[in-house]
Amino acid sequence: MSVVQRMTSNKASSAALTFELVAKCSTTRARASILTLPHGPVNLPIFMPVATQASLKGITPEQLESTGCRLCLNNTYHLGLKPGQEVLDAVGGAHKLQGWKHNLLTDSGGFQMVSLLKLAKVTEEGVRFLSPHDGSPMLLTPEHSMSLQNSIGSDIMMQLDDVLVTTHPDKARMREAMERSVRWLDRCIKAHKNPDRQNLFCIIQGGLDLEMRRECCREMVARDTPGIAIGGLSGGEAKDDFCKVVATCTELLPELKPRYVMGIGYPEDLVVSVALGADMFDCVWPTRTARFGNAITKHGVLNMKKEQYAKDFGPIEDGCGCPCCRPVDQEGAIGVTRAFVHHNSAKETVAAHLLTIHNVWYQLHLMGGARDAIIADKFPAFVKEFFNNLYPDRKSYPSWTVNALKTVGIDLFDS
Amino acid sequence: MSSDGHEPTTMTFELLKTAVKDGGARLGRLAFPGRRTVDTPNFFGLTSRGVIPHVTPDNVEKHLHTNGTYMALEDFIERPQQNMTRPPPIYETPSPINKPLNSFTAMPSSIITVLGSRRLPAVSSPMGNTNQTVSVFTSTGFQAVTTKQYINAIQTLNPDIAIPLADLTHKTSTPTSKRALRMAERADDWIKEWFTEMYGPKSNKEPSKIATFAPVLPISYSIQWEYIERLSEEHASNPRVLSGLAVYDADLIPDVSTSYQNLDSLPRLALTTPSTPHQVLRQLSLGMDIFLLPFLSTASDAGIALSFTFPPPASESSGLLPLGIDMSSPEHSISLEPLTESCTCYACTTHHRAFVQHLLGAREMLGWTLLQIHNHAVLASFFASIREALADGTFEDKARQFALRYEPEIPQGLGERPRARGYHFKSEGPGEQKKNKPGWSKFEGEEGAKNIEEKVADLRIDDEQSGASGLGSGVDSVAETPLVPDENADAKDLEEKGFAEKVVEEEKK
Repeated sequence: MSVVQRMTSNKASSAALTFELVAKCSTTRARASILTLPHGPVNLPIFMPVATQASLKGITPEQLESTGCRLCLNNTYHLGLKPGQEVLDAVGGAHKLQGWKHNLLTDSGGFQMVSLLKLAKVTEEGVRFLSPHDGSPMLLTPEHSMSLQNSIGSDIMMQLDDVLVTTHPDKARMREAMERSVRWLDRCIKAHKNPDRQNLFCIIQGGLDLEMRRECCREMVARDTPGIAIGGLSGGEAKDDFCKVVATCTELLPELKPRYVMGIGYPEDLVVSVALGADMFDCVWPTRTARFGNAITKHGVLNMKKEQYAKDFGPIEDGCGCPCCRPVDQEGAIGVTRAFVHHNSAKETVAAHLLTIHNVWYQLHLMGGARDAIIADKFPAFVKEFFNNLYPDRKSYPSWTVNALKTVGIDLFDS
Repeated sequence: MSSDGHEPTTMTFELLKTAVKDGGARLGRLAFPGRRTVDTPNFFGLTSRGVIPHVTPDNVEKHLHTNGTYMALEDFIERPQQNMTRPPPIYETPSPINKPLNSFTAMPSSIITVLGSRRLPAVSSPMGNTNQTVSVFTSTGFQAVTTKQYINAIQTLNPDIAIPLADLTHKTSTPTSKRALRMAERADDWIKEWFTEMYGPKSNKEPSKIATFAPVLPISYSIQWEYIERLSEEHASNPRVLSGLAVYDADLIPDVSTSYQNLDSLPRLALTTPSTPHQVLRQLSLGMDIFLLPFLSTASDAGIALSFTFPPPASESSGLLPLGIDMSSPEHSISLEPLTESCTCYACTTHHRAFVQHLLGAREMLGWTLLQIHNHAVLASFFASIREALADGTFEDKARQFALRYEPEIPQGLGERPRARGYHFKSEGPGEQKKNKPGWSKFEGEEGAKNIEEKVADLRIDDEQSGASGLGSGVDSVAETPLVPDENADAKDLEEKGFAEKVVEEEKK
């Protein structure tokens, strides 16, 4: 094992954020760092669960805290509709609304408009769309998005970007989207009212065209936002392409800024993305799949609704330290069995709440484990163990993971 | 299941005060070794499939202020279609504390468990009961449970309190006298078998340590007196066989009490499903000790934060006070007040009305969780104040004030309910309205359909507050908050909420 590289200058600050690089993996591009935000420090790499409407699907902020979460997402579009800007202003922001003492990140609302409303039209002014209800034409601009996110008071806000699916065939349109996203960032920066207490992150666009991504990186980095997101991914592109984009971007991004890959949540994606040098991730999948009765474990996803779990009196995952799974004699343990989750899956919401707690804990703990491994400079071993647990048969390792990890010096087949 | 090596788990019930001038109301203390002590009068939580609806077991322990829970065997014995012959998994629960019911449901061991056969309230079975069986309703349909099977289940699951089978109709109508007679006969036959199997010398097992709360049937006393007499005699000859009464009709208490005074020392558990605190007070005055209250979850599901206190607050105004506040009403949207003033529950101390209002409007499950926590706390403090009043002799007076000060019913609530379907919701017959409005309706709305909807709206009791229905999304599911825009979002909404602006002049082409 080689010595952990320690940075000489390993800390960078902006008005509302401090990024401290703690350790770098000596093999891959993985990094461990501390991101200090207005509502306290968080350890990176990090998975951020999504509390879409200011609530994480039935669990209390106190329970979310008990999973170790210190940074979660709210969706700007949803909060804009309910409770609305006026209420957010009157209440004093989303932290106060939901009783969350820790950090919040909000998206820009553009993703909901563009990817899901087929008739949205993006113009230089903003996103034009027909109201989903009465069909009247609407316009969402970078200024609207900033104003709402300022009212929400999120610790990290995202710029409004021109999102295209990465597989979009029209190269000219892709370029236009990339360039427009840069121009919109400028408008967002200008419209942002609280740069001293809210961090605005830019979003790298450019589809799967690596050259365009590079160009976008240069433009965005020049604008010196406190953090940088890689956007447009997880929209159905081939995983190999996804990895190339992440790797291309992280190569160009400044070392002392957090890198956020948006919309990523499968455990394999997280581990590979960390190896490629990304720090932050979010996805609704862990909490959504919990409501379908699925438990995420290191041996894969288990559907608790299956008859085979009806008489399984073990914890959801053996050895898991979440409040549901940890042994009953330990502090705060609930003593949940698979049989009990099976009994109430799809019948009582409590089963979904319990799986939500477990799944969020799993995702956070996975990133915590990666971080510990990076600091101990044992990250490659961590990655190998992770894949070994997930796929008992090496032959079933997905080829994209093997390829991507190879580019950063990990050979999954080398033991 | 071994019973040796454990300390005897015998229940004690101490009557602290049975003041004559307070009618039949009484002050007591119920205790099981290793469980929270229950000062009575009090209430136990009501579970569905082993959980207090919306509240995870950790929150039950931390925030729910309840010392006991009622569970129904029918919630655990379904036969899945894929595996019809499978014995119910709950019977195989390993339990280091020898409490399989607690272990299976992850219910904290400090909480007393009561096991009965049916949910409360129970769905009436079309098949009826026989001399040896009771028809119960599981998630996979109706099932006949024999008296023997039931006793075995009780012995296996080892609850703290068990309620023997009773032959009930679970209908609102009074049974005919012929039916009532049969109910009494069966109760008598079944309790004989119960005592023998559970505690009798014939049983090859050790006498059970489970506390039996024998049913007092919802039929006239004159029909069931022989059965009650048996209870009294059995209790007199061996106090251990009978630890309490499960009373289905509070009005029978005076009769039972007059005729069989030795049964007075037993705690009385109400299976009467009172629908308001007024009814609770009345039954309590008749001598009821522990209540099971379906109206708690009903209120939470309806978005109601219960708001009554005992005694009622002193106030100049003469108007009636509401028993609860509809938290779905937009009037709370920017209120940072707790759900009710001076409430010390988790919901009130860490959150505020604006959040609960938002959660209800957004149909986020946490809204109902917080209301459950609050409503249980309101009941806990209601009963605590009642006990104080009983202790200092002011109960009767305060109960009178309460009756005069509060509205007779709990408000209905205009918020969207959680998913209002599921096997345990039974249709009440033809023409029943849907609890939530449908998510999708005909494009441009059919004139006829619209009229019906308006008529239905007119029938709603709280119609004058109909503005309170807010922006409820009509999707009949709590499972998903799609990342797709809400189909009910209005352009005006979007604009008003500052999310985007309406384009006034959309240039043609």
